[in-house]
Amino acid sequence: MTKEELIPKLKNIIAPYVQDEEAFKNLNEDTDFVKDLKINSANLVDIILDIEDEFDIRLENEDMEQMLDVKSAMEIINSKLES
Amino acid sequence: MVGNDIVDLAEAKRASNWQRPRFLEKLFTPNEQQYIQNSDNPFLTVWQLWSMKEATYKLYTQLNPSRFYNPKSFECSFQNENQKVRFKDFEFFVQSRITSKYIISEARLNPFKMNSEVIPFNVKDYKSQSGETKAALMERISKTYQVPISKLKFQKSEFGIPSVSFDSDKINVSISHHGIFGAYAFESTVIPAKAGIS
Repeated sequence: MTKEELIPKLKNIIAPYVQDEEAFKNLNEDTDFVKDLKINSANLVDIILDIEDEFDIRLENEDMEQMLDVKSAMEIINSKLES
Repeated sequence: MVGNDIVDLAEAKRASNWQRPRFLEKLFTPNEQQYIQNSDNPFLTVWQLWSMKEATYKLYTQLNPSRFYNPKSFECSFQNENQKVRFKDFEFFVQSRITSKYIISEARLNPFKMNSEVIPFNVKDYKSQSGETKAALMERISKTYQVPISKLKFQKSEFGIPSVSFDSDKINVSISHHGIFGAYAFESTVIPAKAGIS
């Protein structure tokens, strides 16, 4: 999926967990879930489960390990969709 | 070195659902899932284990500056009164305090007396909360080490690991927020800056 297709889908998924709305408005590839959006680490697992449901994929622990920003989330989703 | 983590129990109820499909499998090892299943209060056990893992992660990243998300690789165990968390070849000491409102856990390299201070917030927004926790931490360090607050410098490394320095000394600290609670912990020994891990 292209960046243009993925980013709006990701935005919908992470919106409920965002604690910095200003950073959310400016969301781009480099946006960090924790540092920028101030998402509580307890909710990262919800984002991962929501991604699994939305894209009908399953993420392993190793996949989750670097899912700390928009860019790595997009890369992991695409690699799962292709496999 | 020290790591801590607070869970606001009302916030955990509101913002998370530990019973959603695959939630437990993603975060907890089979042994930990067993603890949860056998618990009289699975909700509390879930969040105690979570805070133990988070506190240990923060401690580990002071030891080995890095950032990653792999809660399942931190395995909690309870032996009598002792709480431990294992990660790779490391075994860390952890203590938790559970009240009706929150769970606070603290992790260290050696057996210890808990030092985490909990701060109930008056404000809702994240930035002011973060400011309140930092201010309380600075005040406490200032008193403990007899250093004026103006001389203390709070910083975060590229990996987001916090510390407080003054003159040429550095103290490892840990900060946590969740819901209406903040918490801080700090190391009781001062490391000369040049010997410390930056």
